[in-house]
Amino acid sequence: MRANIKIFPELFKRYDFSFFGVSTLIFIMGVLNLYSVTNTSTLSNHTGLYKTQIAYFGVSLIAGFVTSLIDLKTIYRYSYWFYFFNIFLLLLVLILGDVGMGARRWLVLGPIRLQPSELMKITVVLALSRWFTRNNPDREMGFKEVIFPFLMAVLPALLIIVEPDLGTGLLILLIFLVIAFYRSLKWKTIFIIAILSVLSGTAMYKFGLKEYQKKRILTFIDPDADAQGSGYNAIQSKISIGSGKVFGKGYMKSSQASLNYLPENHTDFVFSVFNEEHGFLGASILIFLYLTLFYRLIWLSQSVTKIYQSICAVGLMSIYFWHTFINMGMVMGLLPIVGLPLPLMSYGGSSLLTFGIACGLATSISNSRNLF
Amino acid sequence: MFGEDEIIKGHASRARWIAFIVLCCFFILGLRLFYLQVYKGDVFYRYSVNNKIRKEVLPSPRGMIFSRNSKLLVNNVPRFDAIMIPQFVKDRKKLITKMSAILGMSEKEIHKVLKRNGGQARYRPITIKKNISPREVAIMETEAEKIPGMRVSTFISRDYLDSEVGAHTLGYISEISQAQLPKYRRRDKFNYKLGDFIGQSGIEEFFDNILRGIDGQEILEVDARGRMRRVLEDNNLYKDIKNLPVLPGNNLRLTLDRDLQLAAFKALEGKVGSAVAMDVKTGDVLAMVSRPSFDPSKFSTQLTTNYWNSIIKNENRPLRDRSIQEHYAPGSTFKAITAIAALEEKIIDEKTTYDCAGKLKLGRRTFHCWKKSGHGKTDVVKALKESCDVFFYQIAKKLSIDKLADYARAFGVGSRTGIDLKRETTGLMPDSDWKEKRFGRPWQGGETLGCVIGQSYVLMTPVQLAVTYAAIANEGKILKPNLIKEVFSVFGEINQKSSPKIKSEMNISKETFRIVKEGLFSVVNEKGGTAYWYRPKNSTMSGKTGTSQVKSFSAEDIYKKCEDREYKSRHHAIFSAYAPSENPEIAISVVVEHGCHGSSAAAPVAKAIVDEYYKQKTLVSTD
Repeated sequence: MRANIKIFPELFKRYDFSFFGVSTLIFIMGVLNLYSVTNTSTLSNHTGLYKTQIAYFGVSLIAGFVTSLIDLKTIYRYSYWFYFFNIFLLLLVLILGDVGMGARRWLVLGPIRLQPSELMKITVVLALSRWFTRNNPDREMGFKEVIFPFLMAVLPALLIIVEPDLGTGLLILLIFLVIAFYRSLKWKTIFIIAILSVLSGTAMYKFGLKEYQKKRILTFIDPDADAQGSGYNAIQSKISIGSGKVFGKGYMKSSQASLNYLPENHTDFVFSVFNEEHGFLGASILIFLYLTLFYRLIWLSQSVTKIYQSICAVGLMSIYFWHTFINMGMVMGLLPIVGLPLPLMSYGGSSLLTFGIACGLATSISNSRNLF
Repeated sequence: MFGEDEIIKGHASRARWIAFIVLCCFFILGLRLFYLQVYKGDVFYRYSVNNKIRKEVLPSPRGMIFSRNSKLLVNNVPRFDAIMIPQFVKDRKKLITKMSAILGMSEKEIHKVLKRNGGQARYRPITIKKNISPREVAIMETEAEKIPGMRVSTFISRDYLDSEVGAHTLGYISEISQAQLPKYRRRDKFNYKLGDFIGQSGIEEFFDNILRGIDGQEILEVDARGRMRRVLEDNNLYKDIKNLPVLPGNNLRLTLDRDLQLAAFKALEGKVGSAVAMDVKTGDVLAMVSRPSFDPSKFSTQLTTNYWNSIIKNENRPLRDRSIQEHYAPGSTFKAITAIAALEEKIIDEKTTYDCAGKLKLGRRTFHCWKKSGHGKTDVVKALKESCDVFFYQIAKKLSIDKLADYARAFGVGSRTGIDLKRETTGLMPDSDWKEKRFGRPWQGGETLGCVIGQSYVLMTPVQLAVTYAAIANEGKILKPNLIKEVFSVFGEINQKSSPKIKSEMNISKETFRIVKEGLFSVVNEKGGTAYWYRPKNSTMSGKTGTSQVKSFSAEDIYKKCEDREYKSRHHAIFSAYAPSENPEIAISVVVEHGCHGSSAAAPVAKAIVDEYYKQKTLVSTD
């Protein structure tokens, strides 16, 4: 870890503040929203949650800033080490992790509770980027070429799925898909994978499973879900979003949240409450901010000179993108409820830390453009 | 390896594709938002402001349990709980004061309950007090109109009609514990969740998946005060949530005869022990009781601390099912097996006699007969009749422990009977290998002398003893004790019918059985037999008394009167029998802990059961 103290002044001349800037904007909207969610309700026992969230963000900002100072060559060199260390942490969680809400996800180190599955999103991007950098045939890749990196993604995915946290596990695979696609996975291969997974998935679900097994899978996906009233949460979320109409009910005016209709409304369902209070207009602004992040990263992938950094940028983009898309899709009732947080909006320290580090990495990549 | 500008340029088209796909995805999200908020916004707005939907779980009744003759043993009765639904509460303080007045709870207690349930969603009801009285229900119902948020909710609870009678066999239900939940979730088709009641012992536990129903659910639209407006039809908005019908559990008809149960339970009054009666042809368990007992109804509603303490502090452990969970040295009841082994192994025949002088010397040790003066010249029939120990000591000198163990095991000693109840214990039949393994010392000849009279290491459960005597009665068939006659649905359809299960059949000569049966007959029916004074009124019975020592006594202490000893040192009284003597129909085993004499303490219980059995029979035949 060589932070170049000497070139500090020069560093700030070309320091890219855009990622931290946009992230902070989204976070401010998020924490205001969190305050509303937890303080509108009279019987809430989460009233102080926003303070914790601000503290988490502070820590994440520092972690992100430190990350942005680390030489990318160092990160490149230690990519696999990070990856294996994270795998080791995942194994540790399975053996002696702390059980919360029916799943083993946390690792407790004194006062710190960490979800290694969250960091895995980043380390898998680093490791895959390195693999695709080293193995860069100037041609399109088929099944045979990507089998190894695929396994690199499957291993942590499985470890996370058995925690159980199906959402994050599948997310790792989706990240792989984006990186492999970017690195010229053949269209033919992509279509075959897409068709096969859709077919086998539906066939399994339709014919291979009994009613109670389906229900069990649903509770497996989300242990907190009301096993009996599958659909109840989704309905409440839809009512919440819809009732916001164009301009919203106004800040601190969400009736659904105040009645605690929404389960987990400070984590997975923050977007519902945001929509109820700020309407279509508010949601559009928020989505615009997220899109800025995505497109800045995609643009970055084309403006760097090193292939590793280019792949990293795409990988980081995919982390942001899938979280945002899946979370928003699920609260709108378009996707099954899998319990993925909305980046920078949902309550949660591990999640914030992940996006803080991701932000730092993106900044570091951007800064390196201006180095000869 | 770096500096691959061209390669990055080569990926430009893929980058554009990614940008395009991201745009498409968010375009779809945008359309959806537009649909929900702009196009359908007014509809949803109305729902969020005016209407609240509530999910009501419709509890499914658990199956009922009937006796052999279709008499109701376990019923479902409604139980009322006082609950509060936070979302409808207008004036929290007023509500708490009111509830505390109605329910006779202090406000502090109510605050405590609320605090414990503070974290959950506000539409979820909080139970303030379980199982409230009809008077409290009436007051609550009238006051509920004025005080929103307070309600009475109905649950189905369990009523065991004969309370303590057969409580161990029927079992009880209670709320599933946090520790049990994962195991049950994995198990089968039911959605076990906290708050569910599950069978915790006996038939309720073993047949939980048959008795259990599946809860239904109804989505209700309620007004601001929590009153139901209508059951929601499956309209477009709610197409994802379904109303689910209640599926009641299946009913059970048991093999237990209620009258025999009552008779057996009454006969054991004031005693600590158990009685088992079973059909010798089918293995149907007709009676199975254990005392002291408990009231499962109290366990299945709300257990009061007093009642719980009275159960837990009772040193006779009322929760223990003595018929299957406790094993005892069978004492002289075991002599029937020894006699069969000796006859089959040709160590003795019907005419073999030994002289009993009250004791027998083997090596340096003296083995005593229970009768100090001795029995004189004794053959096998007399030895069973008068329970002469020395006769069997003589057999032990020639019969190896391993051979005896073979016979005993064939009769089921040392293995579970396989009755459909959990936590059955195995009992124990020792042999030389077992001792070597257990103690690392070889078998001593003297120990065989203890085993032939059912002492030493031999241990049997009451239900095993009944199976063994049934096998003597039916001449060689080991039956699995059966508790379930049939399983039938609420509509009366029979889903499952039980049939007798013969676990094994022994190859023992008819002649052997004839001789042993003659001995067992004389025990009850001939003057001088140990159970002569306890013969049934209107029928015949054959059996064997047993008195099993709890402690070994020194030579001078051995003939001390049992009743003079301390309670915990008194012998267990055992009696095992079948009736009638010709063409037997039922086998019975009775154990009375520290009852001193198999004859005076245990045999009357068996007599009571047989008398009741014949009373039933004559009633049926005169009908």
